Amino acid sequence: MEFFEPVINGFGVVLEPMNLLYCLLGVMIGMLIGVLPGLGPAATIAILLPLTYGVEPVTAIIMLAGIFYGAQYGGTITSVLLRLPGEASAVVTVFDGYALAKQGKAGTALGIAAIGSFIGGTVSIIGLTLLAPIVASFALDFGPPEYTALALLGILLVATVSNGGKLKSVIAAGLGLLLATVGRDGFTGESRFTFGSLSLADGLDFVPIAMGIFGLGEILYNLEQRHNKVQAPAKVANVWPSRQDLKQSSGAIGRGSVLGFFLGILPGGGATLSSLAAYAMEKKRAKNPERFGRGAVEGVAAPESANNAAATSSFIPLLTLGIPANATMAIIFGALLIQGVTPGPQLVANDPELFWGVVNSMYIGNILLLIMSIPLVGIFVKILRVRAAILAPITVLITLIGVYTIRNSVFDIWLVIFFGVIGYLMKKFGFEPGPLVLAFVLGALLEENLRRSLLVFGGDAAGFVTRPISGVLLLVFLMVIFLPLIQSLFKKARAKKATNTDDPSRKNEKESV
Amino acid sequence: MFASKLTRRGAVSASAGLALALSMTACGGNVADSGAAADGSEFPSGPVSLTIGQDPGGSTDRIGRALAENAADPLGVAIPVVNKPGANGALATKEVAGMEPDGQNLILLNASLITITPLAVSEEEAVSLDDVEVITGISQDDYVLVANADSGLKTMEDITSADKKFNFATTGVGTGSQLAQALLFKQAEVEGTDVPFDGGSPAMTALLGNQVDLATIQLGEAMPQIEAGKLTPIVTFSEERNQYLPDTPTAVEAGYDVPVSQYRAVAAPKGTPEPVLAELKEAFTAAFESEKYKEFNEQNLFTPTQIDGEQLAADWKGYAEKYKALTEEYGVDLGGEK
Repeated sequence: MEFFEPVINGFGVVLEPMNLLYCLLGVMIGMLIGVLPGLGPAATIAILLPLTYGVEPVTAIIMLAGIFYGAQYGGTITSVLLRLPGEASAVVTVFDGYALAKQGKAGTALGIAAIGSFIGGTVSIIGLTLLAPIVASFALDFGPPEYTALALLGILLVATVSNGGKLKSVIAAGLGLLLATVGRDGFTGESRFTFGSLSLADGLDFVPIAMGIFGLGEILYNLEQRHNKVQAPAKVANVWPSRQDLKQSSGAIGRGSVLGFFLGILPGGGATLSSLAAYAMEKKRAKNPERFGRGAVEGVAAPESANNAAATSSFIPLLTLGIPANATMAIIFGALLIQGVTPGPQLVANDPELFWGVVNSMYIGNILLLIMSIPLVGIFVKILRVRAAILAPITVLITLIGVYTIRNSVFDIWLVIFFGVIGYLMKKFGFEPGPLVLAFVLGALLEENLRRSLLVFGGDAAGFVTRPISGVLLLVFLMVIFLPLIQSLFKKARAKKATNTDDPSRKNEKESV
Repeated sequence: MFASKLTRRGAVSASAGLALALSMTACGGNVADSGAAADGSEFPSGPVSLTIGQDPGGSTDRIGRALAENAADPLGVAIPVVNKPGANGALATKEVAGMEPDGQNLILLNASLITITPLAVSEEEAVSLDDVEVITGISQDDYVLVANADSGLKTMEDITSADKKFNFATTGVGTGSQLAQALLFKQAEVEGTDVPFDGGSPAMTALLGNQVDLATIQLGEAMPQIEAGKLTPIVTFSEERNQYLPDTPTAVEAGYDVPVSQYRAVAAPKGTPEPVLAELKEAFTAAFESEKYKEFNEQNLFTPTQIDGEQLAADWKGYAEKYKALTEEYGVDLGGEK
């Protein structure tokens, strides 16, 4: 009973009218930007960050979280109707979703996606409710060495697991690590790369970087891309899937939810990765895999359940350890800091209302999304017609005013513009911004904790291996490095037997975070 | 629809700006009852802004906001608070020090910026009291040395007789926490490694998790865990016992010459006319006496200390010299091993 008391109090927090309103606002915005290709949840949250400044922390985070998982619902709609993934995490939904739409079963696809998303999200919240306090109870055992190992693992996964070009991701992550070194050294007081500017003495702030790279960079990039999109959306009829469709996809939904939950917790994981993995798994399990790509309901159900489950479970490392698992979580991390809340081991115990308020708001948010997503499909599709020429300048203006208001600093406006240009160039040349931003956050964490650990150990690095948690994490780190090498050796051996192993699910991979 | 939502939310901040502009003009008319400044112009000629060089939500920010709120009525104009965090307040201090000396722009100073930070950073990053006019001291926030209750350490004797090497957490390089602890252990001849954390909360978490043996953090932050029995207070670093921890001796009482506290003051740019300073001081004095401000300090375990500006400037310079002498005498290098 003791366990459930704060959980139930959390519902009390969510049901306050203000919080309900912001939850609704969040999922609506999320769904909208999910529909709009290009502008992702990371960008939107970065842009709206300063506007949450005036509200209570719990209210702000409820809204920002709503944007994140709401976008997972919205991204499906355009995938199915226009063959245009609104979100990176809905890329695989295109294959079977659009095929279903062409067969006149767009409604079925959307219905299954909505139900799958709802179940995936809900399963994941239940997992979060049960698992987060357990992780948090270990949290005091997480000292500098453990954080070092975790940050190391996170950077490695971010740089290698994300679906862009591996080399480019590593370069982007390397740049992020370099940016993290700017500022006064927290151990010696020495200034690094500040060029005598006091504005740089504390290092680069995370928010202008995120707002520049995700917000401004994406807007600039989209302006260039937009003009070539005029497509008539397919007609939507009978949104409710038939009993047979439901039966056929129930297994896929279940497996997708569980897979998504676990992949979401991993640093560098998240919605996009898990939707790809879930699709691949369903295809592997299917009796006749050739149905996939030609309108298999499982091909919609599995990735949609998985991406929603992952979006939710990626809150676990953030809220319990203070480690963001993906770029969007890094921005929510920034949002919490702005609100004066330090996410970390003490959060569940010291601020249960915030913690459970945010977690429980996701139940409500998912219900709202399920209700909204089906009848409102037509309206959302119309939004695609809003001209970029109108949308873009407004967004830019809000971004620049917003960043100024955080620290009343004109310097930060220049930073946003600078990183906006960097973000634009990165996208243009096929570099993912995600690894840069995440490596920037984790880089500071890595350096500080590595040096702190060595101080605590008295300079003896053996301590990293002998402490159980950091030892295990470092073992995983090594496995991540060497497993692909071993696998590729196996593959080479197998390739001699069968030459052709073409995988269509890997063809269209592309991520915009 | 997305666009309309964005504009609506945009309009909120726009209208806030408009409201501010309106309040500025409104307050502009409200100067009849204020005294005339030395150069003949009216003071205050509009809202007096108080710049805080720390992030919103921290203790410096909360003290500044509470003070501004309670001094606005006696002054007759609004005192909006502007946060310009950066370089431990050096950024904001340098900016305000360079503004017109008319009393319309004030800065909240942390003593550590003047007395301790220069020991850790290069000269051009440090700030001198000579660039500002100190109006009044406002509060004192004590540091306390704490141990995890499981360790059984209760007094300085427990530490000196333990004959082991201690890791001690500080709230960062160039802070009072680092200085106080480093000086204490040098004087007590305890071998220890100074492990800087990024603020009080992570330092305390590390201590609770037994990642380090000891930590020095600000009293307000440590108090909930001290009351919960998880942390044991060993000494405070103030010159007199702290009113909220009356049973804990000071380091001075324990026989060590380590008087370190976080003092805070309000200052104006150098050259601000005397009558303007006097009027500001009067307003802050009235704020100190208000019930609301007293309540705020008690709730947050701050010790309000109103010291005359000149006295305070002399005190801080004294501390700066003393710390410098002590660090040299005991070979403490706040910059760490370079």
